[in-house]
Amino acid sequence: MDVSVEVVGEERHEVAVDDDATYADLVSAVDLSPHEVSVLVDGRPVPEDQPVEADRVKVLRLIKGGRT
Amino acid sequence: MSDLSLDATQLDRYSRHIIMDEVGPEGQKKLLDGRVLVVGAGGLGAPVIQYLAAAGVGTIGVADNDVVERSNLQRQVIHADADVGVPKVESAANFVTRLNPDVTVEQHHLRVGPDNVESLVADYDVVVDASDNFQTRYVVNDACRLAEIPVAHGAIYKFEGQATTLVPGGPCYRCLFPEAPEPGTVPDCATTGVLGVLPGTLGCIQATEAVKLLIDAGEPLAGKLLFYDAMEMSFETVPYRQNPDCPVCGDDPISSVDEVEYTGGCAVRAD
Repeated sequence: MDVSVEVVGEERHEVAVDDDATYADLVSAVDLSPHEVSVLVDGRPVPEDQPVEADRVKVLRLIKGGRT
Repeated sequence: MSDLSLDATQLDRYSRHIIMDEVGPEGQKKLLDGRVLVVGAGGLGAPVIQYLAAAGVGTIGVADNDVVERSNLQRQVIHADADVGVPKVESAANFVTRLNPDVTVEQHHLRVGPDNVESLVADYDVVVDASDNFQTRYVVNDACRLAEIPVAHGAIYKFEGQATTLVPGGPCYRCLFPEAPEPGTVPDCATTGVLGVLPGTLGCIQATEAVKLLIDAGEPLAGKLLFYDAMEMSFETVPYRQNPDCPVCGDDPISSVDEVEYTGGCAVRAD
């Protein structure tokens, strides 16, 4: 299936994935690590090991800096 | 001005607030009576403390366990060259004393963690998360949500920043990021660098949110994550929703931070 992947702060990607692909596969396809992002579907995060069901997702990178 | 609870000096100092209908003498009194805890007195915390003090927030708690280093001074604008080696909480208090005698700084020279967070946040109206690590961010989110204290969250990385406001009844940090990434998978500013003015922009947004919450004016940045890209000079707002399965604000919430293992992913302990 074709999925529109919007990486917040970056460009939108159109990604073709296999029917059994997971959200982790989707994230890897846009050169990000599933460990460093949250994948949002309709404003809620989805588990990275779940099969892709949405045709449009937002990917938000986790950042932590601020004090040092 | 008819509000006699503000003296003549205060009426002068805060005149640009008082003249506005949205703040007025009542709002200024709320600020002077307000108590805000700033977690972290570094890049983000510095502009937060500076503007909250200037605005006349009566009590500012500052929690930080570090001392000022020379490499901090490129962005941490409340600390000066002569403060190198001084605890940041002490340097912050000295800065505020020079800026505004109306403000009391409560110094908490400690690292915020599960053992101290609940008693620490309990006495404050608003908490500003200006920390730099996931353990602190999750423990602050969890404790504040359990105590129904709003949090103005901010985080920065190189040329970009994120801000959101976590209010009781709205989604919390875990509704956006359910668990922390494994240690070492997300770089920090010490290893990647950070544009010196970047925390100024994000910290001012956090301070703005704290002021709005104290005076109960405007719309907080709740259920929305504001993403700022300094290189593109662009802002983007990402909406997010409360998660019914969230272990902190969902349908079956935890009752204490003691139920969370604040290492690795900061996950709730299995029964």
